[in-house]
Amino acid sequence: MDVIGNEEAKTAFVDWLNNKRGTKKAVLLYGPPGVGKTTLVNAAAGEFGLKVIEMNASDARSEKAINRVAGPATAFVALDTFSTESKGSILFMDEVDGIAGNEDRGGVSAILKIIENSRIPVIMAANDPDLDKLRPLKKVSALIRFHLVRIPLIISLLQKVCQREHIAAEFEALERIAENSSGDVRSAINDLQSLGETTKTLTLQDTVMLKARNRDISMDETLRGYFSAKSLLEASMLLSRSNVDYDDFLMAVGDNLPLRYPDPADLAKAYDFVSRADMYKGRIGTENWHLLRYFYNSLAEAAATSPESYKPFTLISPPIRVITLFWTKGKRTMLDGICAKIGHLCHVSHASAKMDFIPFIKVMMARNKADGVMSWFGLQPAEVEFLANMTRF
Amino acid sequence: MVVLNKKAFKLPRVEKDKFILLLRLGLDYDRVQGTFCVKSYNNIEKLTDTIATILNADEVTFAQTCAICDRNFPCSECKYLDLCATKNLPFQCVCPQCLKDGKTFKETG
Repeated sequence: MDVIGNEEAKTAFVDWLNNKRGTKKAVLLYGPPGVGKTTLVNAAAGEFGLKVIEMNASDARSEKAINRVAGPATAFVALDTFSTESKGSILFMDEVDGIAGNEDRGGVSAILKIIENSRIPVIMAANDPDLDKLRPLKKVSALIRFHLVRIPLIISLLQKVCQREHIAAEFEALERIAENSSGDVRSAINDLQSLGETTKTLTLQDTVMLKARNRDISMDETLRGYFSAKSLLEASMLLSRSNVDYDDFLMAVGDNLPLRYPDPADLAKAYDFVSRADMYKGRIGTENWHLLRYFYNSLAEAAATSPESYKPFTLISPPIRVITLFWTKGKRTMLDGICAKIGHLCHVSHASAKMDFIPFIKVMMARNKADGVMSWFGLQPAEVEFLANMTRF
Repeated sequence: MVVLNKKAFKLPRVEKDKFILLLRLGLDYDRVQGTFCVKSYNNIEKLTDTIATILNADEVTFAQTCAICDRNFPCSECKYLDLCATKNLPFQCVCPQCLKDGKTFKETG
């Protein structure tokens, strides 16, 4: 298979395709763009003689469209499987993280149904698997991560392409293309192709106009680079390159600082800088973006409080608050439902129902005098039990 | 710095929770040999950090295997180390010697 790098992902995918799927009927390939996810699917299909039924981001992927294209293809055994040449089909949905907006409404639930009923392997690819909307898909899929391809491998690939296409190229020129690609093989090949068309011998001088690809840095990567930064400048540069959500990042930094600084004096100093950063963030609001550099600087100072004391530690990510909100979602939904019923009958807001009514109802429940009120509010047995067991809200 | 081989390495005895965490993060344990190997690479960064915590090491690195000559070599030999997003992790690479000699990798599959 002509897929460079990500050998481990390749093996895992081929194993999954070779009926070693376990309980998962679908697979989600995820990783940065240009590292070979789509190429691997097409190469594997060619290798195993499978027909690829593909839906990508350019197609509308509403519930209706998915059911129209993928429904029949996955629910029935295609006629061509009886021919000797075809060995079956696979359904490939590229860029599933791009499903968004009104045009793609109902797309994720339609894909879930397809996976449940499918008789053929369902393969999905995404760049960012951490999106909330992909959570249901991740639950029912085997996950295979793709990493950025290393520069020496890209150089080696470019050398091979040059040999095949009879392009004369200086090593330094290929090195520059590979470095600029930031691990994105597709962009490196595109750059080589565009430069190779304009000159007979590719020299370092020809690559001067190439600009480095900017790639998104994930929360984990930003946190890891932030805490291991050896200087203020390094931490500051990393923060300015990253596009992580500032609120989430501040929370994650707050969670991880005690692990980063075992010395209480360093920890206190670092927390001071973080609180100052939080203050600047509040002042930025929607228009004072000139304060952003002070936010970066204060945060960077927290990371560079004691660079020499750095030791690797297991990062807490996503932030504890986010995890807690996720785990308590069911409880919060239940409480909201109860408050809605109380609010509807008593003409009060949800907040008022929660703060002014529920404490009294709990007192009545403790004295076994709440049955009438409960039935008047129309609370279900599960809601009554929830209120009885609720310790705080 | 501790250098590990991704195919088999030993760790000191750890408590149950830590052991479960290691398996969840992608390690596999060989009961007969008493060795660990990397089975899943989805959480490789977290896994490396956890191993570093267990070994109480400043840095844990995995030996790299050249895709062309199969030689093991450390990341420190590579001149692209500062630009590498996966430095010290156990992924396919090309050793500096093969790169210098202009050898291209073998086709697989």
